[in-house]
Amino acid sequence: MRHSPGILVLVLVIGFLEFAVDAGMIRRALLPPPSATAEVLWELLSTGEFLPPLLSTLKLVFAGFFLGSAIGVALGTAMGISPAMFRLFEPLVELIRPIPKSALVPPLMLFLGIDDAMKITSVTLVVTFPVLLNTLQGVRGVDRVMLDAARTHGWGLGHTLRHMILPAALPFILAGMRVSLGLAMVLAVLSEMLAGQGGLGFLILDMQRSFQLRQMYAWLVILAVLGLLLNSIFLLAERRALFWQRR
Amino acid sequence: MAFLGLDALGKFYPQPGGAAPARIMQGISLEVPEGEFLAVLGPSGCGKSTLLQMVAGLATPSEGEARINGRAVAGPPPEAVYLFQQYNRSLLPWRNCRDNVAFATEHRLGRKPARAAADEHLASVGLAGFGDHYPWQLSGGMQQRVAIARALAAEPALLLMDEPFSAVDALTRIQLQSLILDIWARRRLTVMLVTHDVEEAIFLADRIAVLTPRPSTIGEVIEVGLPRPRDAIATREAPRFLELRHHLLNRLLARDAA
Repeated sequence: MRHSPGILVLVLVIGFLEFAVDAGMIRRALLPPPSATAEVLWELLSTGEFLPPLLSTLKLVFAGFFLGSAIGVALGTAMGISPAMFRLFEPLVELIRPIPKSALVPPLMLFLGIDDAMKITSVTLVVTFPVLLNTLQGVRGVDRVMLDAARTHGWGLGHTLRHMILPAALPFILAGMRVSLGLAMVLAVLSEMLAGQGGLGFLILDMQRSFQLRQMYAWLVILAVLGLLLNSIFLLAERRALFWQRR
Repeated sequence: MAFLGLDALGKFYPQPGGAAPARIMQGISLEVPEGEFLAVLGPSGCGKSTLLQMVAGLATPSEGEARINGRAVAGPPPEAVYLFQQYNRSLLPWRNCRDNVAFATEHRLGRKPARAAADEHLASVGLAGFGDHYPWQLSGGMQQRVAIARALAAEPALLLMDEPFSAVDALTRIQLQSLILDIWARRRLTVMLVTHDVEEAIFLADRIAVLTPRPSTIGEVIEVGLPRPRDAIATREAPRFLELRHHLLNRLLARDAA
């Protein structure tokens, strides 16, 4: 039970909020008591009503996460092994990278409308860069001695890439992907809010605008748990993939 | 024609600002007949590893050339395998020992046949039953044995060894030296070993080429002339061994002048 002190704090905070709202320290109109939110939450969960919006958001996160990771790994690897590719793409990458990707959602809406294409593109964009930069660093950091071992045994570039460079860069790539997973959630929720048709982001904003605060908080809790789950699953997969690093 | 020929090999690095290029070595010429065990002995920093890398096609000479079987070396030659000093950096940590040995041939034979042969190579370096272990689960000496098994799996005609035993403890070093002699005798390999360890050079080699400090060149070539098979203890006590040791240490420590 290594989480137990942390869980105790969590319970205390929720308990305090319940008390504070009850005692009138926090306006009920802004924050319904947690128990009331819990009731709504239970209703959403037990009726299965939570599932369609959750899946809709999850679809954006996954599609963008995999597309962005694939682009980031491919481009980062190419730039890492080929100086020509690096010189070709580095200015473009350095130009787009610093832009907060949330600011690109409005222009993307012009081109792609408000459908999934726009939302997946914005998630893809935010995922690509951390993965790309980490891949680049990882690929460049592969030990010279190891690369020479491949050369002296007559390994070709393709074999070396697949069986040496990418596995050796994997710790970096996965670290970049872990950062990107969090950002993917942010952009998925944000683009749902800006181009609302459904999904968790849309619902949270919609409930706020219609003063259904218990619903709003309930959806927020669902979003939080989703983020927690995704991150935990990723960490687990990462630790399995990098078993050879734990020494 | 010698199996391995070095013809006036030299290496220098251009310096910034139009200064004269830094000469690491020059005029290295040697003929190595097939089956010989040659040691190249020199102090640290004399460019021994660079010399070996030029023979292995891992570094490009600034002048001269290395030839194997009459062909100039340009890129890693199929006959030669380089055994690195840093076994912990040349083995793949995400692969178990079997797959690390399969490394040598999998790109030519395919993964399955390469794997199937790997256990036998592991056994030949005394690591039978360690196929499923990962390198980081083994001691330094055992890791270097894996690297040796990998080199052998490639079935090279020429084994290039870069101070392969300098990172292991003294006792392990003696065991690995005997192992290498064993393998060399059984497989009729040609070996070029670079080392700064005088006793290692004498114990292992047929001939020893002594490098001078930078810019390095070959100061002298000595016939070891100790009988084979050599014994880890008795050979080191032979009068000829001690005589060579005295001579070479004198040279490396530059006591001639004193």
